Order: sequence, then C-alpha cells, then structure tokens
Amino acid sequence: MAIPVEQLADEMYEIIKESAGVKKLKGGDLTKAMVAKYGDEVSRADAKAAIRMLIDSGRCVYGYFGGSSIELPHSEAAENK
Amino acid sequence: MATEVERKTDIGPPHYEKFLHPLVKENYGKWEYHETLAPGVLMHHGPAGDLYTVRVSSPRLVSINFLNNILDLADKYADGYLRFTSRNNVEFLLANKDNIEPLKKEISELGLLVGGTNNAISNIVHTQGWVHCHSAATDASGLVKSVMDELAEYFTSQKLPAKLRIAVACCLNMCGAVHASDIAILGVHRTPPKIDNATLPNLCEIPTTVASCPNNAIRPTSIEGKTTVKVDEDKCMYCGNCYTVCPAMPLADPLNDGVSIWVGGKICNARSEPMFTKLAIPYLPNNPPRWPEVTGAVKNIVEIYAANAKPYERVGEWINRIGWPKFFDLTGIEFTKYHLDDFRHAGTTYRRSLHNRY
Amino acid sequence: MADDLKTPLLDELEKGPWPSFVKDIKSLAGKKEMAKDLLRQLEKSYEDKRGYWKHGGLVGVMGYGGGVIGRYSALPEEFPGVSHFHTLRINQTSGWFYTADALREILNIWEEHGSGLLNVHGSTGDLVLLGTRTEELEPTFRALTEKGWDLGGSGSDLRTPSCCVGPGRCEYACYDTLSLAYNLTHAYQDELHRPMFNYKYKIKMSGCPNDCTAAIARSDMGIIGIWKDDIQVKPDAVAEYVDSGLDVQGLVVENCPTGCIELDGNEIKIDNSNCVKCMHCINVMPKALSPGKERGAAITLGAKAPIVEGALFGSVIIPFMKLEEPFEEVHDLIERIWEFWDEHGTNRERIGEFIERVSLATFLEGIGEKPLPQMIKAPRDNPYVFYEEYYAEEGEGEK
Repeated sequence: MAIPVEQLADEMYEIIKESAGVKKLKGGDLTKAMVAKYGDEVSRADAKAAIRMLIDSGRCVYGYFGGSSIELPHSEAAENK
Repeated sequence: MATEVERKTDIGPPHYEKFLHPLVKENYGKWEYHETLAPGVLMHHGPAGDLYTVRVSSPRLVSINFLNNILDLADKYADGYLRFTSRNNVEFLLANKDNIEPLKKEISELGLLVGGTNNAISNIVHTQGWVHCHSAATDASGLVKSVMDELAEYFTSQKLPAKLRIAVACCLNMCGAVHASDIAILGVHRTPPKIDNATLPNLCEIPTTVASCPNNAIRPTSIEGKTTVKVDEDKCMYCGNCYTVCPAMPLADPLNDGVSIWVGGKICNARSEPMFTKLAIPYLPNNPPRWPEVTGAVKNIVEIYAANAKPYERVGEWINRIGWPKFFDLTGIEFTKYHLDDFRHAGTTYRRSLHNRY
Repeated sequence: MADDLKTPLLDELEKGPWPSFVKDIKSLAGKKEMAKDLLRQLEKSYEDKRGYWKHGGLVGVMGYGGGVIGRYSALPEEFPGVSHFHTLRINQTSGWFYTADALREILNIWEEHGSGLLNVHGSTGDLVLLGTRTEELEPTFRALTEKGWDLGGSGSDLRTPSCCVGPGRCEYACYDTLSLAYNLTHAYQDELHRPMFNYKYKIKMSGCPNDCTAAIARSDMGIIGIWKDDIQVKPDAVAEYVDSGLDVQGLVVENCPTGCIELDGNEIKIDNSNCVKCMHCINVMPKALSPGKERGAAITLGAKAPIVEGALFGSVIIPFMKLEEPFEEVHDLIERIWEFWDEHGTNRERIGEFIERVSLATFLEGIGEKPLPQMIKAPRDNPYVFYEEYYAEEGEGEK
C-alpha cells in the first residue's frame, strides 16, 4: 500500500530537522531515505510531491551552496539586513 | 497583495512564433542560401523573399536605456522584430533592403559597431567579474571593453584567415566555458582562501564548509577553544566553493589574482574536430582599468595568427600545422614549467613521437 | 549626472570604439541608487583589484528552488544601494527572437522593480535581470508571469534549454531547434524550477555540426543536427563558384578532412560514404551545397567546464535520431538518463563525470542503449577487460 504523501512529508521534515547544521540534504537524499524505509510503497512521484508540499507550505526552503539542498528556513551568513 | 490576481507558476517562456517576423514565418525551414553583403550584413534567401540581417555589437551588460534605443530602431527599420545571437550581438531583421544604410547610420550615431560576421572577431562571450560575482579573480566587462577597443577593426572587417572567437571567464569555474575558444582570457586565483578565524565560528556551519570543498582540502580544527577550519594548501584549486558557503573564507587576493591566456580551442566540426584551448601565458597581472599586458598579449597573438595562418585555418588548426615550438617562437611567448600538464592524463600531452620540427 | 559619483578609473572605460558598459550604467546613475552604488563599488574593485560580493544561497521566489542568484555587497555600509543585488534569470525564448513590444514590457517591469541593468543574455542563454532587493523578488516574479514570462534555472536543476536560430533563419538546420527547445522547456518546468538532480543539467540544441550554441563544449546534453544521406549539390551553382574565381580546389577540396571531394573542371564529385558531415564545403559554398534530406540529430552527453575533474567535451551517445514533433523519443531518452543518474550519481556530479566514473558501458546498460562504434574514437588500447561471459567447468554453462 502506498504511503500517504502527508506522512512522507512529515518524515522528511524530521530528517531535515535532524541534519540541520550538520549535513545539507538534497531532494534525492530524501527520496532515497524514504525508498530505503518503505521500498515499493514509495514512488518517486510521491516523494517529489512530499518535497513540494514541504516547500509550498513554507516549512522548508531551497538552499543553494554549490549544490541545491532542502533546509529549514533560516537566515544566511552572507545576508545584509 | 493576495487579493489581486492568482499567482502563476510554471508557465514557461512565451511561444517563439509570436516573435518571428512575418518573412521569417513564411520562409521558416525553407531558407535556400545566404550571402554576406558587407561585414555585419547578411542576406538570407528564401522562397517568400530575402531577409536582411544587420548585426550590432553589444557590451552584454546593458541598461534599459541601451535596450530602449535598440528597440526604437527595431520599430523604425525592422517592423519591430529583432533577435540576439549566442555571442550576445543584437540582430535587426529587415524585410526592406533600403533600410540597411539608414539603420547603420543610426547605429553608428548610438556609438555601436556593425560587424562580427564570417572571418571576424565576433563579440566576446564573458562572465560577470567584479560587477556581480563573488568568486571573480578579475573583472570581465572591463577586460572585454579593453580588448575589443584594441581589436575593434577585426569586428568591423572580415580580414582574418578564419573566424576568431574570444571568451573571458573570471575564475576557474568558467561560467563562460572558455575551454573551447580560439583565444581565452581566464581570471586566476593563485593562493588558497584566507580564513578569518575571528568571525568564522559564528558565521559559518563547520560541516557544511568542510563538505563544500570538491577536493576534500578543508578540515575542522580548533583555535583558542573555538572550532574553525583549515585548508590543505596543496589540495586547493582555488574554485571558491568554500567562500560560496562561508563568507569568512575570502579567496580574493589583490596581490596575486590575475589573468591567464589560452589558445587554439574550437567548437564547430568544420575541417577538424572540436578542440580544447591550451595554455599560452600562465599569468599576467590585473592592471585595471585597461589591462595593457592582457590586451597587448591578445593583440600579439591575433596579429601573428593573421600574418601566418592559411585561409579558413582557425588558431588551433594553424598551431597544429606549424607545431607548438613554432607558436612560442613566432609569438615570443615564454615557455615555462607551467605549460607542462600535471593533472589527470597529463601524459597524453607529452610528445610521444619524434615528429618535431627543427 | 550625479555629483557625488567620482569614478576616475572607470571613466577610462568610456573611451574607445567598443560600446562602453560604464557609459551605459552611468546613464542610469541619476535615477537609480543601485546603478550609482554599483559603479562606486566597482570603482573600488578597480582601485583594490578585488571583488566585493558575497554569495546568497537562500533567496528566491516562493516554491521555486532556482532562477534567483542571491548577491550581497561585502561593504553594505559604504555602498547601501547594492547591499542586496540579486539576479533573476528569465526563461530565454527559442532562438532569442523578440518583438520590441514584448521586450519593452520586461524593461518596464525591471525599471520599476530592479536596477535597470540586464545581461542580454547570460552564459546559459537566459535573459538576466541584474540586481534587485530581496523584497522585490516576489513582486518582480508576479509582474513577469502576468506578461507571460517565467524564471529559468539555477542550482542542481535543469537550465532553460537553449537553441540556435535554426529553421528561423538558417538553411543548414537539420531539425527544428526552436520547436524542440520550446517543447523541452515546457515539458520539464518542474525539473527547471525545483532542483532534484545531483547537479545542474544543461541542454543545448544546434541545427547542424557548426554548433553555434557550443553544445559539444557547454551542455550536459547536446542535440546537434546531422544528416545521413548525400550532400545536396546544385551543379550550376558549383560552376558559378568556379567561374567566379573561387579556388575550389585549394579552399574546399584540399580542406576536406577525409579527402572525399574531387574537382573535375567545374564539377565536383563527393564520396558521401566517407563524408563526416564537417560542414566545411557547405560553409564555403552555401549556394551550391546543402545538407542531405535524411535529417535528424546526434545526441552528445557530458560537456562541462573544468571544476572538479577537468573540462570535458560531450561524446556521442546517439549517433542519429529523427526529430519530429511531439519529440517523444527525446523525452524518453532524457527520462532514462535522468533516472539512472539520479539513482547512481553522487552530489555535485555532472553527467559527464558520472559516465567516466561508472564507465560508458555501465552507463549505456543503465539507460538501455547498445554500444556502437560511432560512440568512440577507438576501442580500448589496454587489456584489462572484465569478461562477464565465460565457460565454467562441470557443464554449468555460461555464466
């Protein structure tokens, strides 16, 4: 049975929260983590939809520091207020 | 704000058909041949009639004022249609041949040049430099302006043996992909980033900073009880990626940053296969506002090439015919240990035959 | 002109025949604080021989992970006008065609919301709006989408596919580059706006092997027009070139890389079976020669600039593909490539580096393509072959 997208989003959010400040995660890392946990019950499309849910709701933001990542909203080092 | 109109996303660019001149639409896919009427002026022949193109120089970094002037000319002479080339030139597309001369006159009054076709030096493809980039080792727009001021006669004429393409990139990241140009001007950093240990611990995430290095040259370390980072200087290749992540690791070094010159690359498949550019001059100083060492070096290479190459021979093809020793000999460029490759597959660049000219 | 704008070094760049970006930026300095402080900061860079920008990695428009490049002045107190100086990339149109009216709409938006400075165009081909503040990003985006424009890519995503002028104004075009670029840009909006890849992915389309978009050098995926049958020859036009005094023997025949052309009086004969479609003869005699009728494209993969493993040119993955709307075969190939790269590529690994790491043979197997001799310059010259087929003892049969 497919895992609901909302649940995927929540679980991805927890992973992002745990790695905040330690490792920047990209979309592929989150997708792979879900596939590793649930196997065939997670489709790539659902994982993508979960990430979009996190971004569109503002719970997470995209970051770009050499490569793109998905992060908790925070202020950045370079910013001039 | 939210009460206005629905927010749109993912609409993509407009359909190109609405930007095509009616004559372009009628001849679409049916063009038969083209002629060059004068430097910068092309005629394309198709069954629905002839289309005239006037190609004009642009600094690429432009203001709305510059473009508004261009658009007014497009309205006046080209039925409101224009395009830009892959080398950032402006092209006016005219259905009426009689508009060519008056358009050229007004272009000249705006201080712009018509040219860049066939055996010319077309516009220099370049990057952002000190105007906008955080990792630039030199400026790009100023270098381009200085070099093209020296070489403008080659933009407005077609007197070279073949086309000659110049590109500028302001650091090794090469946003301008200068690795396949006849002559490339490449900004170089020569020293690793300097670490501001006073601000780094507060400003930057250590794991992210460590992970940012593509060569694993950054390691965490502790100074006076605070965690910061150190750089393995032998591994650093000055890409600036750590500075991207961590503003406390500036790479800029006014004393050492400068410019290198590369030659002999090409992209098109005509005659010979595409070729990478190869190192000609390892280092020239940054000398703004006019970079005389760089403009002099580029002009020298262009002039020696123009005097020695055969018709249709690109810079790289000319060098392959005469050999690298002769290239250094003719141009007077010093050959140094820096010209010897020491990166991956360096051995493939060694002379593994006795095919040398004496 | 603003009175407090003293830029003696930059003023030197107002002289000379080539159009001056300094003069142009100055034309805005009277009404745009951003343009004025840009010049002042640039003047300082010219004095000090170094740049003064910081990279911002978080700013963007809602929901997108690409299209905005964050930039902050490293000297915000000194140059408050460029304290924020972010860039927006706008999806390029196929072949960079515009009407004056459409481009004016963008200029008006940019006059209202940004510095009034642009790159036409950026290195990847997008229209680049150079310099605005964080709070202006969303309003600029809204104004642009109202007029039918959208953002391009940045970061680990698809960049706006780029194409040459193609059938719009070139008799060499072997397929409709404009149509394919439009098609791919729209088909992959999600991949363009929401970074999900290991790293960036650029697609460039050139209509013929002259490769005016530099696809072989600058794109992860190059789609370069080519033909399979005979070069089309107009004998009368050949004779005209000969009669007009063009040195056909010296400039055309002797420059043919495979020596497959012969000149006999004012007639030429081409051994098309040995022609490598280099375009030289066609370029020199466009009225007499043109690409054949069986047209399509070769697809190359892997070109990139040097960081990290060195610069790469693209190499041929599909020697010939017919390209016709709705381009399903191209979509299918792209999706197979992305899926395998997503699954097995590492962070910041471009497709060219990926193929070299896992080997071309593994990559081809992964995307379901057969090895072909057209993909290589030469077979391997080392004997380290890892045979996957061999006979086992005891009649166990082939592994």
